Amino acid sequence: MILLFLENCKISLSSVFANKTRSLLTALGIIIGVLSVTLMGTLISGLDRSFESSMSWLGKDILYVSRYQWFSDMEWWEVRNRPRMLPEYVEKIKKRSKYALAVAPVMQRGASLSYKEKKTRTEIFGTSEDYMQTISTDIASGRFFTKNEDRSGSRVTVIGDGIREAFFGNQDPIGKYIKIDEIKFRVIGVLEKQGKFLGLFSIDKQAVLPLGAYKRIFSRRGWMRLSVKIPYEKLDEGLDEVTSVMRHIRGLKPNEENDFAINQTKAFEKQYTTLKIAIGGTGIFITLLSLVVGGIGIMNIMFVSVKERTREIGVRKAIGATSGMIMGQFLMEAVAICLFAGSIGILFAYSFSFVINMFFPSTLPIGLAIAAMLMSLIVGVISGLIPSYRAAKLDPIDSLRYE
Amino acid sequence: MLKIDKLHKSYKMGDSSLHVLKGINLNVNKGEMVAIMGSSGSGKSTLLNIIGILDELDSGEYTLDGIEIKDLTEKKAAQYRNKFLGFVFQSFNLINFKNALENVALPLYYQGLKRKERQEKAMFHLEKVGLADWAKHLPNELSGGQKQRVAIARALAAEPKLLLADEPTGNLDSKSGHEIMNILDDLHRGGNTIILVTHEDDIAQRAHRVIRLLDGEITEDLKIKSK
Repeated sequence: MILLFLENCKISLSSVFANKTRSLLTALGIIIGVLSVTLMGTLISGLDRSFESSMSWLGKDILYVSRYQWFSDMEWWEVRNRPRMLPEYVEKIKKRSKYALAVAPVMQRGASLSYKEKKTRTEIFGTSEDYMQTISTDIASGRFFTKNEDRSGSRVTVIGDGIREAFFGNQDPIGKYIKIDEIKFRVIGVLEKQGKFLGLFSIDKQAVLPLGAYKRIFSRRGWMRLSVKIPYEKLDEGLDEVTSVMRHIRGLKPNEENDFAINQTKAFEKQYTTLKIAIGGTGIFITLLSLVVGGIGIMNIMFVSVKERTREIGVRKAIGATSGMIMGQFLMEAVAICLFAGSIGILFAYSFSFVINMFFPSTLPIGLAIAAMLMSLIVGVISGLIPSYRAAKLDPIDSLRYE
Repeated sequence: MLKIDKLHKSYKMGDSSLHVLKGINLNVNKGEMVAIMGSSGSGKSTLLNIIGILDELDSGEYTLDGIEIKDLTEKKAAQYRNKFLGFVFQSFNLINFKNALENVALPLYYQGLKRKERQEKAMFHLEKVGLADWAKHLPNELSGGQKQRVAIARALAAEPKLLLADEPTGNLDSKSGHEIMNILDDLHRGGNTIILVTHEDDIAQRAHRVIRLLDGEITEDLKIKSK
């Protein structure tokens, strides 16, 4: 059965290849259709993967308390007029919240780092010893700083893997001194390798310092957020509780609106889903459009083919082909063109996926590739149906006389 | 072998109808080689089409090898054509993107034979017409005479009971034409039943029996003694 099918495929392909250029041009629509749907899938799979890892870096169980609501359309001056986050909130939240497992203040700014003659620009974070509990990264070597080092304003730092690689290569960085904006800091630990956040910027290029030293040296009144770790299954309760604690700290009356924002990775997820729908929708639209156009093209070419090969059909019938066999033959040809086009499309998509891979890790989803092939098969059957029916119904005598 | 009794056939041409065959009676025995002659419009093509089960008769009877050919479904007609009949056309009608061997194997494909068996049989028949060396060549690489020999091999591939040749030498020069006639002669001597349509006297003279058609009726049925 399968052998017969393969043989029929081969026979169909032989007549498809007898008209190479025409078949290829006809197939273009299908090629584009399959290419766009598989590329879209590849893109989304890549986005999914980098989104997942980025979200795990942010932490699904972390509440980010700051002035700014993510993805909101608030005016900048409104945000600016809100009161700042203050380091003393940390202790207040810890004391009053029963869900908060850890609270870390985080200040952030750009700085230039150097080690000997090597120099790089990166983000530095000023935070407390709780910080490690609010990120999903571990220490790869060395250690994180202690509460005492934070209080005393010790000039120690934990660097990202990217900085370690850039400055130290194979050397052990622990105990070495690097300069952050020309001030010496001792490296006491290295964070695990992370990759890129949403494929945009590397989170391995960072340096974490104790808030004490950060404030003393870099900025006393910078932008600050608080990362509050909540047990994942209690996230909603935690959110309510932290909100009310914050309102209490700020002394807000019941009728007053929040003058702070509590963000969750959910906000990203929502944004991301919108993006995914947009990409997917565009991809599917292009796919459907090119499949319809491709299908019509194939139908047209099959009509021409039936017309041109009228005599052949007559001969085949005289020799003993039944209408069903003729119909099957032409249907197979349409399907063969489509499957061939589908394979070319997937081949292209496969090579393109390597290019996409250079920007963020992604693979061509096999299920989607199979679905795309199935789709081209269906297009082949649909567009081949009427022309092959016409071929099957040709009168053998007239066909044999056809010039 | 073949028995036709009071065969009538007419075609509708708009409002009027054209009575093409007016009561044909014809018996062909196994092993005969019959030439049907007639000018164009005499009805010889229509008769051949009916004998070839490509067309249906209006009234009368047609039995082929003891089987009555009447009211066949399309599928049955195709199967009978495949099993009982071999066609040779004036313009060869080979499939131009298939090589000689594949062309010869085509009727066997429609019988559902396995590829290997098809190729063996096809090769056997190609050898019979002396074209074994040309098996892998496409039709457009062959001369007219060679093409017609491939067509004969194809007609023989399914080992039909009856070989129908419609002006088999019509598109050939006289030398190739005689080659083709020699092959048909050989087949005849080998016991094949052959009906050929021609309007060339010298071709008809090589048959065993000549039937002349005029205006849809048989006017002459002549056995050639010398054969």
